[in-house]
Amino acid sequence: MSLHRYELGFLLIILNIYSLGLIDAVNVTASDSAANPLQAPSYQSHSSSAVYKPAVDSSYSINLLSSFPEDVEISEYCSEMLRLFGQRYVAYVNCLIPAARPVRVCQNCSPEYKSLSDVFLNISSDQMGPGNVSCRDSILRSDRLMLVFLLYGNLATIWEKSNCKQCVTTDLKGPNNDTLYYLTLLNQTITCFEKYKEGNHTELCKSCILPYKDLNDMYSGMEKNSTLCIDLEDSMNMTRKLWSKNFGCSYPHGETIPVIAVSSFMLFLPIIFYLSSFLHSEQKKRKLIHPKRAKSHNSLMNIQDKQS
Amino acid sequence: MANITKKVSWSSRGDESGAAGEETPLLNGSEQSRPLRQMSSGSTVFQIGRLSTVDLDEEITTEEQDSARGRPKEIPHNEKLLSLKFESLDYDNIENQLFLEEERRMSFVAFRCLEISRWVICGLIGFLTGLIACFIDIAVEQLAGLKYKLIKENIVKFTEAGGLSISLLLWVALNSFCVMWGSIIVAFIEPIAAGSGIPQIKCFLNGVKVPRVVRLKTLVVKVVGVIFSVVGGLAVGKEGPMIHSGAVLAAGVSQGRSTSLKKDFKIFEYFRRDTEKRDFVSAGAAAGVSAAFGAPVGGVLFSLEEGASFWNQMLTWRIFFASMISTFTLNFFLSIYHNKPGELSNPGLINFGRFESEAMEYNLYEIPLFIAMGAIGGGLGAFFNFLNYWLTIFRIRYVHRPCLQVMEAMLVAAVTATVAFIMIYFSTDCQPLGPDHTEEYPLQLFCADGEYNSMATAFFNTPERSVRSLFHNPTGTYNSLTLGLFTLTYFFLACWTYGLAVSAGVFIPSLLIGAAWGRLCGILLASTTSTASMWADPGKYALIGAAAQLGGIVRMTLSLTVIMVEATGNVTYGLPIMLVLMTAKIVGDYFQEGLYDLHIKLGSVPFLHWEAPATSHWLTAREVMSSPVTCLNRIEKVGTIVDTLSNTSTNHNGFPVVVQVSGDDEVLFDLATDKNAWCKILHSCI
Repeated sequence: MSLHRYELGFLLIILNIYSLGLIDAVNVTASDSAANPLQAPSYQSHSSSAVYKPAVDSSYSINLLSSFPEDVEISEYCSEMLRLFGQRYVAYVNCLIPAARPVRVCQNCSPEYKSLSDVFLNISSDQMGPGNVSCRDSILRSDRLMLVFLLYGNLATIWEKSNCKQCVTTDLKGPNNDTLYYLTLLNQTITCFEKYKEGNHTELCKSCILPYKDLNDMYSGMEKNSTLCIDLEDSMNMTRKLWSKNFGCSYPHGETIPVIAVSSFMLFLPIIFYLSSFLHSEQKKRKLIHPKRAKSHNSLMNIQDKQS
Repeated sequence: MANITKKVSWSSRGDESGAAGEETPLLNGSEQSRPLRQMSSGSTVFQIGRLSTVDLDEEITTEEQDSARGRPKEIPHNEKLLSLKFESLDYDNIENQLFLEEERRMSFVAFRCLEISRWVICGLIGFLTGLIACFIDIAVEQLAGLKYKLIKENIVKFTEAGGLSISLLLWVALNSFCVMWGSIIVAFIEPIAAGSGIPQIKCFLNGVKVPRVVRLKTLVVKVVGVIFSVVGGLAVGKEGPMIHSGAVLAAGVSQGRSTSLKKDFKIFEYFRRDTEKRDFVSAGAAAGVSAAFGAPVGGVLFSLEEGASFWNQMLTWRIFFASMISTFTLNFFLSIYHNKPGELSNPGLINFGRFESEAMEYNLYEIPLFIAMGAIGGGLGAFFNFLNYWLTIFRIRYVHRPCLQVMEAMLVAAVTATVAFIMIYFSTDCQPLGPDHTEEYPLQLFCADGEYNSMATAFFNTPERSVRSLFHNPTGTYNSLTLGLFTLTYFFLACWTYGLAVSAGVFIPSLLIGAAWGRLCGILLASTTSTASMWADPGKYALIGAAAQLGGIVRMTLSLTVIMVEATGNVTYGLPIMLVLMTAKIVGDYFQEGLYDLHIKLGSVPFLHWEAPATSHWLTAREVMSSPVTCLNRIEKVGTIVDTLSNTSTNHNGFPVVVQVSGDDEVLFDLATDKNAWCKILHSCI
């Protein structure tokens, strides 16, 4: 029993060093992670035993760990998968954060997402791995928190919302042809902006209208086909803001005079119509028929007075 | 012997000349002088007027009649006249020998079959009403979509190139074209199909036989007319015509024959009497309301409130059945049309959207605010009715020729387009285009790229969509100036539009006006207090404003509350809506009557209200009945009968048959209808 314990402790220390070497901000104790739930997804090192790794001053003693029997521990294969998942998760998030503003997540981070989703697919598949174990239940569904499931779910939602599928190739290796073409146009427009930025803005409006228009048309076309991802939307948004707000190149207000003239004419027509019908039409009259009432009675006169 | 060949027909169209005389009006071949009665000044209630489309050639001319005294007095139309052309429905069965024999022949099983066939007819009424509503909805959506797409493309093209006046002309032309067709069919083919149809159905359900109101021709003209009116961009709704259509369908289906098509299908012959017809028309009206708003219980209550005089449990049950079938059919077929079969999310023509309870909660301290909004709605509604009343009088007096009516409708359409265009053109309110924008045709016009003109969401849309966006768009979509201008212009446009010779309703325009100023109130409230979160969503104020304005204009109480509650799908709003509608009715009734009642009065319909006028309870029958009584002998000359029946001043539906005619003898025999008396008497004479 004590030999197991030393083995355990040795293993734990090695893993600790390994994990510390790998990542900067890492929570290694259960108490720590409990105290900072809002930190970025933390990587907890997993051992082949039960869940928590004790800190030096933690109240948990190593005695607890050895109390779990063999059959509730996760297998080696599964813990390896879990470790791999952790690595890829971190890689993906590391790629995402720098690409957050301006949004470039689809162009830059698709391969990382692909590898992450491959691992997760492996974990959650029904197939039995080597040693006849199913990792899905032991990793994903063993506790109330379902941490791995939640974390992956978050990232998958982000991927869905960013609509990246539309502008990368099917094997998620990189941007597809349309996106590349769009990016070329975007580049052209931005270079044009850069060139004329210093001078008069009207100069810019005149010279850069062509690349901007091409870009706009391409964007509208893609919008109609719904092949837009967040990268393209954001870049278009920023370009439009530059064009309209910073450089002030919107459409001119056009001629107001013809519009006012036509509208006044239209508004004047009904007046003419009503006046002419008032003056020329024969007023519709009604023929009165008087009912025959009983002969005049005193009370009748009273009625007339009361009714009028 | 009376010269029958010279007489005009004694049908109920009543286009004859006639005048009351001191003596009995029998014209037994002798020309009679027609002394003119002086109009008693100030007497208000019992003047009877008639249409003056008189063929004076038919009159028998004498020297006496050449004098001006012979002509009956003519006055311009006003609201205090009653027309002689209206008869009442016969609510009593004609219990003559034929009828009694027929009843004796029917067995118990036959009566049960009758009961089942009543249910079948009600189901059929609901089903057909739902189908018609579906047809209207789809047609409007397609055609209006086409029109807006065309105009939008044109505007987009001309915004860059300049020359937006061409877009304006295109919009005006499209509007006028559509409305021209809608108005032509109404003015030339079937004038009774003009307006919303609710006043006519109200009269029908209350016993007045408005001629031609439930014919197939009327139905066709109404449905096609409403499609053209809505597509033509007028400030109208399609809910009122839906109610009329439901009633027509009910009358047609339940009788098993069609007068317009001159075909008799030889079924449902038992129901060919006014008692049964009236019950089915109530069911039809309820089905119409239910299809229009997605409110089956509201439909039943509408029939109860407006019409059916004789109410019993089985009738209520059948009417409810018809309403439910109607809304379900509409829902089902619309879901198929939207390619989501079985989703059942379009229960009515107008869809207010779901009011989520969380964001739209109201607090107790907002109730006085709601009541204040109800008072405002009542006041504005009374003003609307007042303006519309004078406009209608002007139209009846001066714009009565069909071609003038068509021209007027086209002008209104043109001005509507112009006003909308000007508002959109000069508005500088731009909003960013969200990813889940509900606008079908966002107009960018002079806004920056990626933004759209928010005045266009109000004007460049069918009114239903505008109402929905006012209810549900997030805070900040509209600013106060936009809403204020919109309310003002749309108020006057809607007031001008109601009463045209087009088939059009007034529900949606009033809801839209109310939603606009309600939302404005919500925005102002949020801006006056520092903690904006206290007032949450301006959408619920839009709802309250819409209810207040609608209540102020039409003054319906119970049915409208239930309709609004059902249409918003949220029972918690029942209390504020009820309070608001009651307040609006009280405030509005102080100034002016409801719109439909005004139009009934202006149509010279002898409509009996629930209760007699307030100070008339002491009147005895003697003072209001004609004297001498027009009655017939048991043995009577054919000429006398013809004269009595053809004299328009005495075209009652029944005449007492007495033993001798002299002054005020007692009436010894019971009432017989004119047709029956005619047949019986002819039979006994020949």
